[in-house]
Amino acid sequence: MVRAVPTWLRIAAWCFVLLTGLLLLAPLVVVVGVSVSESQFIVFPPQGFSLRWYEKALSTPAFLDAFWLSLGLATLVTATATVIGGAAAIGLSRGRQGSQLETFFLSPLVLPSIIFAIGLLMLWSTLFGTTSFYVLWLAHTVIALPYVIRTTLAVLAERDPYVNEAARTMGAGRLQRLLLVTLPQCIPGLAAGAFFAFNISFDEAVLSLFLRNPNLTTLPVQIYGQLEFSPDPTVAAVSTVMIMITLVLMVLLERLMGLNRFASG
Amino acid sequence: MTDRRETWLLLIPGLALLVLGFVLPIGRMLVLSVQDANGYSLEHFVRFFQDSYYPLVLWRTVYLSAVITFFCLLIGFPLTYIMAHSTPRVRLWLIIMVILPLMTSVVVRTFGWMVLLNRSGLLSTALRDLGLGGRSFQLMHTEAAIVLGMVQVLLPFMVLSLLGVLLRHDPRLEEAARTMGCSFLQTIRTVVLPLALPGIVAGSILVFTLSASSFVTPSLLGGARLEVLAGSIYKNVTQTLDWNFAAAQAVILFAGIALLLIPYLRLGARGHG
Repeated sequence: MVRAVPTWLRIAAWCFVLLTGLLLLAPLVVVVGVSVSESQFIVFPPQGFSLRWYEKALSTPAFLDAFWLSLGLATLVTATATVIGGAAAIGLSRGRQGSQLETFFLSPLVLPSIIFAIGLLMLWSTLFGTTSFYVLWLAHTVIALPYVIRTTLAVLAERDPYVNEAARTMGAGRLQRLLLVTLPQCIPGLAAGAFFAFNISFDEAVLSLFLRNPNLTTLPVQIYGQLEFSPDPTVAAVSTVMIMITLVLMVLLERLMGLNRFASG
Repeated sequence: MTDRRETWLLLIPGLALLVLGFVLPIGRMLVLSVQDANGYSLEHFVRFFQDSYYPLVLWRTVYLSAVITFFCLLIGFPLTYIMAHSTPRVRLWLIIMVILPLMTSVVVRTFGWMVLLNRSGLLSTALRDLGLGGRSFQLMHTEAAIVLGMVQVLLPFMVLSLLGVLLRHDPRLEEAARTMGCSFLQTIRTVVLPLALPGIVAGSILVFTLSASSFVTPSLLGGARLEVLAGSIYKNVTQTLDWNFAAAQAVILFAGIALLLIPYLRLGARGHG
């Protein structure tokens, strides 16, 4: 038996992993650090400990309004993307349309959203004069849809096809089989897709920046605006809240589907 | 109702949504780019390429994206190799390390870099203390800042593109190479790299595409002086309100990306179910 990896390389590998971890996580740690600092300037490492910036964020209407808008938007996007994407995935899994249709459905995943953001803004402005909540809802659903389709297709690929056959032999109708056999089989995929959809919409900045107007400022857009001009530790407090929400979603995702499985799929 | 009818009924809401929110806007953007006050013309494209400023922006976008892709691959490949060869428990932690930043808003991550890179930030101070750069040296608003920030933003995409491919190999191939007398590095070069090539290509194309079309991180870390194409599009849409010119720039970006993406989509459609 040959040692797969020499010892010096094993040590080098761990140093490398630590450095990469530092690179990946440093910006997040810094933001959390700034948010609990006592100083009124943005400093890292933090000086002292205080929650005053969280208090200030909670009493800033601009942040509160943006938070509720983002939360409402993400919830609606999750619902529509899960229902429409789930249906599409079941349709695609029957697989007689070939992979071209699947490629089409997944294309918002790889085509950068800046490409269609301008067209969406232009279409909406000529039709209705200004952007509205509905266009943001539509735009976010478009980019969340492929995630739901992918997770659901992955689950459907592993199901037992004979359950459906068995149900048919036993006399279950078309709708019964769809609702009582296929749908329950999809649930882990739909749930994972729903969490992704929520995360995508809640964090999305590009489409929201293009489609923003004074009454339509999502949380990431509000943060972006502050960063362009005068960031103070309040922004860090709000950003930390966003990191915590991401963390919660990730833990749920791990419980539901297993990140291992999702990441290597 | 036939099977076919039912399948199409399931697909139609999704298709309608994509047509309304994706296909039509792209079409509108394409038309917008060739429209001017008097009808149709290519004047916006002519203006872009004849200007002394915009070709420079385009070049900066391409060259920064290439550098960012290179570093993502340089860091991403060894990291993914280690992930693929660790125990499932360790791998899970490494995956969390990669996915947590991926799932965090780009705006938040860029904010973190702004804190680290500005004049009084940890990184700029450290480099000054080491005697690199003058007294007023800072990393903010440099190309290095853009590269550093973007590598952190895009590295997870590279890792996830590679991980699936690296995990799918038969580990015995590497063992066989080692038993037959290959050194560790020889095994990497002659066995692992060729097998990982589809993932390397897919990941690089993805990172390059995303990098070329980003503006949030480049404009916050690079500032107004180091404009990239996507930043210029955003500025033309929201500040100078020259939508036709913005659309023309988006078409240029779209054309460049399409050249890279079409082969990638073919690969992707074959790769997973």
